[in-house]
Amino acid sequence: MNPRLRSTPVAGALLVALLGLLPGAIAAQNTGTITGQITDASSGRPLSEAQVSIPGSGIGTLSNVSGRFVLLNVPAGQATVRVDLLGYGTTDQTVTVTAGASTVLDFALSQDAIALDELVVTGVGKETERRKLATSVEVLDAQEIANVPVTSVDQLLQGRVAGATVNAQSAQAGTAALINFRGTSSVFGAQTPVIYVDGVRVDNSQSTAAGTGGEQSSALADLLTSDIERIEVTKGGAASTLYGSDAATGVIQIFTKKGQPGTARFTGRIEMGVDQPEEKYMFDVGLTFPWLACTGEYDTPDCVPEVAPTFMSDKFWQTGFAQNYYLAVNGGTDMVTYNVSGRVQNEEGVQPKNESTLYAVRGGLQASVTDNFTVNFGGNYTRSQYQRLFNGTAIADPLTTFEVGDALFFSGAGDLDEALDIFLMPDIDETVDRFIFSGGFTWSLDDWFIRATTGLDSRANKQRVLEPIGFTPGEPTGQSTRYDRTFSSFSLDAAAGWSWQSLSGDWSNDLAVGVQGFRDNTTVISSTGTGYALPGTPAFDEASTITSFEINEEVFTGGIYVDETFDMWRKLTLTAGVRFDGSTAFGDDVSYEVYPKAGVSYLMSQEDFFDGVSGWWNQFKLRAAYGETGKPPTPFDKDRSFSAVSFRGESAPRFDNPGNEDLRPERTSTIEVGFDASFWDNRLGLDFTWYDATTQDALFFVPEQPVTGQGTQLRNVGEINNTGIEIAWNLQVLNRQSIAWSLGGTFQMVDNEVVDMGGAADFSVDGSQKRVSEGKPVGSWYVSTPIDTNGDGLNDSSELQFTGGQPVPDQSGSFNTSIRFLNNWTFTSLADFAMGHEVFDWGSVWSTFNGIYRREEIENVDFPRRYDLDGNEIGRYSQSQARSAFVYKGDWFKWREVTLSYTMPESWATALRSDRGRIYGSIRNIMIWSDNALIDAELNGLSGDGIALGSESSITASAPRRFRFGLEFVF
Amino acid sequence: MNTTQKIGRLRGRRGFVLALVFATGFGLSACSFLDPTNVENPRTTADDLADTPDPVAALLPGLRAQFARATSAQTVLTEVVTDNYSIHGTGLSKTYDTPRDIGPSSVNSTGTATGLYWNSQELRALSEFVIEDLVPVDETATAEDVAEAFYYRGMAHLLLAENFVGAPVEEDGEPITPDQLLDLAITDFQAAINGGPVIGVAAQAALARAYRWKGDRNASSAAANAALSAAPDMLWIRTFDANSISQQAYFFLVNRALQEMQPLPRLDFLDPKYLDRESAIAIAKAEEMYLILAEINLVGGSLDVGKGHLATAISLANDRVRVEFTDFDQRLNADLSIRPRDASIKIRADASSPFLSGLVLDRPGGTYNQMVFSGTSLDPDSIQGLTSADEVWHAFWLARQEILFLEGRRMADLGIRLPIMLREIDANPNIEMSDPVAQVFVPTYIPQFDEMDLFTPASPYDAGENLITDEVTMMHDMNKILAANNVSPFR
Repeated sequence: MNPRLRSTPVAGALLVALLGLLPGAIAAQNTGTITGQITDASSGRPLSEAQVSIPGSGIGTLSNVSGRFVLLNVPAGQATVRVDLLGYGTTDQTVTVTAGASTVLDFALSQDAIALDELVVTGVGKETERRKLATSVEVLDAQEIANVPVTSVDQLLQGRVAGATVNAQSAQAGTAALINFRGTSSVFGAQTPVIYVDGVRVDNSQSTAAGTGGEQSSALADLLTSDIERIEVTKGGAASTLYGSDAATGVIQIFTKKGQPGTARFTGRIEMGVDQPEEKYMFDVGLTFPWLACTGEYDTPDCVPEVAPTFMSDKFWQTGFAQNYYLAVNGGTDMVTYNVSGRVQNEEGVQPKNESTLYAVRGGLQASVTDNFTVNFGGNYTRSQYQRLFNGTAIADPLTTFEVGDALFFSGAGDLDEALDIFLMPDIDETVDRFIFSGGFTWSLDDWFIRATTGLDSRANKQRVLEPIGFTPGEPTGQSTRYDRTFSSFSLDAAAGWSWQSLSGDWSNDLAVGVQGFRDNTTVISSTGTGYALPGTPAFDEASTITSFEINEEVFTGGIYVDETFDMWRKLTLTAGVRFDGSTAFGDDVSYEVYPKAGVSYLMSQEDFFDGVSGWWNQFKLRAAYGETGKPPTPFDKDRSFSAVSFRGESAPRFDNPGNEDLRPERTSTIEVGFDASFWDNRLGLDFTWYDATTQDALFFVPEQPVTGQGTQLRNVGEINNTGIEIAWNLQVLNRQSIAWSLGGTFQMVDNEVVDMGGAADFSVDGSQKRVSEGKPVGSWYVSTPIDTNGDGLNDSSELQFTGGQPVPDQSGSFNTSIRFLNNWTFTSLADFAMGHEVFDWGSVWSTFNGIYRREEIENVDFPRRYDLDGNEIGRYSQSQARSAFVYKGDWFKWREVTLSYTMPESWATALRSDRGRIYGSIRNIMIWSDNALIDAELNGLSGDGIALGSESSITASAPRRFRFGLEFVF
Repeated sequence: MNTTQKIGRLRGRRGFVLALVFATGFGLSACSFLDPTNVENPRTTADDLADTPDPVAALLPGLRAQFARATSAQTVLTEVVTDNYSIHGTGLSKTYDTPRDIGPSSVNSTGTATGLYWNSQELRALSEFVIEDLVPVDETATAEDVAEAFYYRGMAHLLLAENFVGAPVEEDGEPITPDQLLDLAITDFQAAINGGPVIGVAAQAALARAYRWKGDRNASSAAANAALSAAPDMLWIRTFDANSISQQAYFFLVNRALQEMQPLPRLDFLDPKYLDRESAIAIAKAEEMYLILAEINLVGGSLDVGKGHLATAISLANDRVRVEFTDFDQRLNADLSIRPRDASIKIRADASSPFLSGLVLDRPGGTYNQMVFSGTSLDPDSIQGLTSADEVWHAFWLARQEILFLEGRRMADLGIRLPIMLREIDANPNIEMSDPVAQVFVPTYIPQFDEMDLFTPASPYDAGENLITDEVTMMHDMNKILAANNVSPFR
């Protein structure tokens, strides 16, 4: 340790470190060099990208493509060198360094298929080795994230987390996927897990702007994958208990990079690419406007095409150009590390007016103020600008209206070209400014620690929807809507703990006591101006009619927790904890909530008797846990309230919320049992979890009897159960000197059931056709179905019936593969699937208004016919009487990603004046297989921020095929 | 303890002090940022209402607004169920054109287009809240204020009675019959008739309407005459607000590109009636009072007196204000074929009726004086020329249809009663799906499926939009059917 630096004022040290000038200062005269090579112990294959460091010294580097590394300026004497690499865990070796000399230290790493030594911090009072965990926690680390061709966290999680269902809304900019862990545990509010960035609870709303069809802007869209050190995911249950009333849907914790010790390393990346539209579920005007395709009589030899049946392909869909530039600097000393980056990205989109531009700046800093006192800061600013079209269910949507045959009708245009021009008139522009700041400290001495983190997520969303004068499908006199939403969340998380170990080292104990709190403020101000005299202005106050509304929501939730971990003989770990929570969202008669947890982890492979099978069975950890978590009611639903609108110059009140003094969070109790195992020289890793999660006091928006004049009231009346399994596996198929091939995958299956309605009547959620009913999965499809009332075998009437299906997949999973060959090349690929759900095809509903029966045309499936009571056929059922005919099996399989990466030989990199260089190409959204030919069953129509079960969309653009080519240099 | 350990301890203490300083800072900032006592509900809570100095006056605008919602929903929903309008587009369910297909889920909306049941019940509950909870504790409430609240509750009872098979009027209550609902309405209107020159007269007119459904000729006649004597050309309207509660019929008649509410061709000249978002809907008008008096006399056998009242109603209707309007409605069926839209087209009410001219106007783009409160194809002189009771009854029903067009009376006149909304059935333990209130009631004389809305040819135009025939025949003349079935409530 350099005493001169220790006396440097803290602020000065931080500033200097930020400027990247400090690293060279620690070079001392009395130093040597450590060089070496990192190889796979089994095959001798060089391992690149391994983190090599001397803990506590500020010295570190990455292994190059030959697995070689050089550590400079290592103080003479004993040094412990640590190597950390995904799939191989962490390995330490000690070596003696001689001043002025180079010391060779090679590492032959053994694979670590289940990473039992990995440290996890989410859901535990103190960072804990995975072997001690009684629950399943998923971890994605920087190396895994770095090569994934996605930009936002929701896309990153797709196919990479066992037990997660991650389904996209659409291809439009600013939207994000719906994330669901372990089934539908609640019937109110979104299922999106809570998300923390560097310990700060951030906005996770799936709906942050005015709807523009069946799609919503999402706060997840601007959580970027750049500069992420690791992501930890807990999926509810005991792993989430310490997050209390907020965590029944799981917790995603994102840790950003704070830099690695070592000289300043600059990383520059340039990525270019094109997006190609996915038109698998588009049938173009050949289906919907066949008569326009002829100058002669339609359906006769005289038919001469006038409008190409590929009209939309030719004139609407486009190839989008994308560019993405990234520059980061990362480095530090033993005292201060830093990571600062900037990113600019622009994507044109595959539909007109679908451009997105993004600017992001992120900085992370960690400083050791004293030996035992560390502070850290993180700051992230993102500015996103989106353009969008009406899409989904809107009658103003070009895609839907052309695909269902409404384009001329709604636009009033004389031909398709004119109609398309009209549908492209609106401007939907949106800007999001988001700043996430976090700061914290950790003090530790001997067996004690205190840590605290606080921070702020501030997100401002400004949207303008302008329908200019003459936009006949919407408001012909012009309409402009301004929708501004601001969200801020202030979080505090502090804990103190004590660790103890017996003299023999056989027993150890970790006790932590913590406090957490957050306060969310959400404000929406929206105004719509309708009817303009003059074109050219979007100002709503220039319109003849102005309507506006305002939403203000605030909530404070805080809690304290105690977490105890007791480890015996490094193989048996008992954990227990409890969290006490209070919230302003709770009813006046509910003071606080208590959430207990307990678990046991047993590393059986540590037992002597295990040696007998250890030849092929390397590690085996059994785990079992029980834990409770909650989901809070929405703010102010506890109060009886009145609302008012302006009506003819008066403020006109009406009933608003009936009120419920007993309102409390719903409580999910989870039992989970599982194992983590590795086999065949750690080449096969397998995680298995079975869980049974029961949500009691489930919150239902219980409809009051209309005779009361009251709407719905949130009440704790229901019980919902999810029972399922999660499997994650990885297999090293080949491990040779020149090639390493691994396969992996995830699978989850969940059985969801509304166990008890608590006396509440059945009700619809997420639209009018998904039903909550006892004994059935949440949101079971409940639609009008043709029936035979007189027993003559012919359908003559219709009634609402359950289809027997549900909108949420009950099975999903993924496959991935990775091939590293000839040292320099890496090939990775990912596919995912979902099954067991049914989807509703609104596009085909709309098309019946135009006499087009899409399923008859495309799949040769007849639309139901109706008969009178005498057995005479009347014709097809109306769409409203036969909605069951629009419900299809939703199974899909998508080949999601393929990436080929080439790491340049050192000679090339050196010639380019860099330390390393990488070229890569990737394709995302490569191919879709689905059970139905009409709609992309992954997509989800969204209409707000309530529960979103998905599987119900109109004509919606699938995610485009994205081709990317990139160059990355580190220097 | 050696020196190194001591130094470590000292440094540890320094770190600990720093930790304490930081923790204190965190704690202080947390207190101000996280302070839960600052979380206030931005809505008016029950406590806030208790602090209101004049709660009845404060709630009355809410009742007016809620009455507007209910009126809007009544106009759209009930008109599309009848022969007056059929649906051609996506904004309204086609089910409404086939009355026998209507079920509790068809009327489950809470909106202002088709949420008639909901908005009527909310009006009833909100006015009851004012009458029972606020009036007794509000010393500032005036007699006029209280009368107005009674009027709105009465109208809620009347809307439920006219349009539904039955309805509960209290939480967990058994549904009561339309007749019982009318009794409640009458009691409320009687409490409102002293509500001043506006509400008082409106209440008298509403009494006449309610007694009509009760079949009480004397009481209905007395109320109608009382209303007329107070205001001989009475017109009590409910206006709307483009900035908040817009008139929903306007959207389906004029505003939306689909213009999915399309009139029966023989009523084409009356459409669209509502020309903007705030267009008033008549709640009570002198014409209706005269029609009630005419009906009472026709039933009583006083054909000439009845014809006189009928002629007066027609004269009043024809004298109402009109507004110049250019209609751009293309008159399209759902399949984009063209409905009758040329003034040259002649219409007959059914295959055995004569063809009549002047019932269809030139559209799109034609400019004419659009009736906005009342209008009819009948004239007083032609009424005087009618001789048989059947003819007079036919004219009477036609006059009611045309004069009260788009005012939500036709469905009740046809005898169709809707089921209550699914939510009420689901939530009320005393109502089952098998109960009568859960079933639509459609009289046997109503034709099957959507035949009330049909005519031939469905489009008198060819693919080139050329008129190929100028004669269009309605499948059924519902006024002839009403006359033949003696459906007057006074019988």
